[in-house]
Amino acid sequence: MQGAPEILVVDDNPADAVLVRESLAETSHQSHIYSVTDATEALAYLRRQRKYQMTARPDLVILDLNLVHRDGHKFLTVIKSDSGLRQIPVVVFSSSESLSDITRSYLLGANCYVSKPADLKRYFSAVRAIEEFWFGYASLPKKENDERSSCARIAD
Amino acid sequence: MATVGISNPKSRLRLLLLEEHGIGEDPTVWEMDYDGGALPGDPRHTPEKLHKWLTSKKICPCEPRKMAETDLARKMEELSRSNRELEQFAYVASHDLREPLRMVATYTQLLAERYRGKLDRNADQYMEYATDGALRMQALIQDLLELSRVGREGGKKQSIDCDAVLEEVLRDMSSSIRDSGAIIQHEKLPAVTADRCYLLQLFQNLIGNAIKFRAKAPLEISVAAEAEGKYWRFTISDNGIGIAPDCQENIFTVFQRLHARTEYPGNGIGLAICKKIVEQYGGKIWVDSKPGTGSQFKFTLPAGQPCEQGAS
Repeated sequence: MQGAPEILVVDDNPADAVLVRESLAETSHQSHIYSVTDATEALAYLRRQRKYQMTARPDLVILDLNLVHRDGHKFLTVIKSDSGLRQIPVVVFSSSESLSDITRSYLLGANCYVSKPADLKRYFSAVRAIEEFWFGYASLPKKENDERSSCARIAD
Repeated sequence: MATVGISNPKSRLRLLLLEEHGIGEDPTVWEMDYDGGALPGDPRHTPEKLHKWLTSKKICPCEPRKMAETDLARKMEELSRSNRELEQFAYVASHDLREPLRMVATYTQLLAERYRGKLDRNADQYMEYATDGALRMQALIQDLLELSRVGREGGKKQSIDCDAVLEEVLRDMSSSIRDSGAIIQHEKLPAVTADRCYLLQLFQNLIGNAIKFRAKAPLEISVAAEAEGKYWRFTISDNGIGIAPDCQENIFTVFQRLHARTEYPGNGIGLAICKKIVEQYGGKIWVDSKPGTGSQFKFTLPAGQPCEQGAS
């Protein structure tokens, strides 16, 4: 992984985004966390539109299903059917434990589903485990803006 | 002489014509959608006059039995509506109440973690109270959901071997059984018609209670079953602290606790769940108990197919 991981948190509750930030504040990955509160903003961020033209494409999206109009699923559908975005891993991080939400998320292409633990310690360790798995163990696809450097590596 | 009764449930108007002389004993019922228009005034109309009025309004008589049927259908509709509302409530409790409560719980925990010892001693205490309250409420909501799930998800009706179920429960609870030093005996148990998951929960709650409310003497628990018509009556006996006679009925009510939380933990949901499970299959649950001697929890469940032995 080159540079610090970029994580986009999509959660309508800013307090939850703060908790994610707090969870990862002291880990070794030093992830950059950006948070948005609705699906429209998240799509603009991922597509680098409007004020997000200069932002880096995230390595991971942490998505709450319970967005305004409950459109977490819709957001998931949109990015997983967009050939430019679908390779970005999406971890659904939701307070819902309902089997239908879980199944639907995977059907729509979520890479992982984690229920938000109600207890603070477990919440912290869940978020840290997500970070550790995706940036400590998993191999990720190359990012668009990394293309030049990986081409150079192939040429070596 | 005829008497006319008029009832008007919502916008449906019913005219009940009780004919006291001659024509027949069954009342004739006239039913119409009531548009608020004029009624035949004097309730003591003669049948002839009333009949004429009704015919002029193009209203047809309907059989009393038919009226009873529509009444029944309406009540059933009302019942299933209130059931749907309850389900909706459970959904709201699970999704919409839990979310803000999770915020309260996590942030009071975070406050306590970050600022413990940094404010004054009162503040530490207050944060502890707040955290404790939020966590307890979470547990209560979780329990309520558990309770609402029984029945809502429509338990299966299968023939289940209770012997295997009890063995599984004892295996799952082996550490608490070991810690309590309980000696558990059981006869060969029959098969009943129920949902396997519910049965696991039923036995687990009852045996868990026997362990929780044990006395100082070494704990002995026994499980037995006796045929009772098309049902089996199960008895789970213990030599624990027992239950006072005037409390024996209450204990099956949700959130009913007989002891301080510090003495015996728990929210008082276990037996309410047991009751709901048993009643779902047309069974009953009750307790015979003497304080200081022990308790016998008894419940009935419909018999299942006898275990097939060596059948292909």
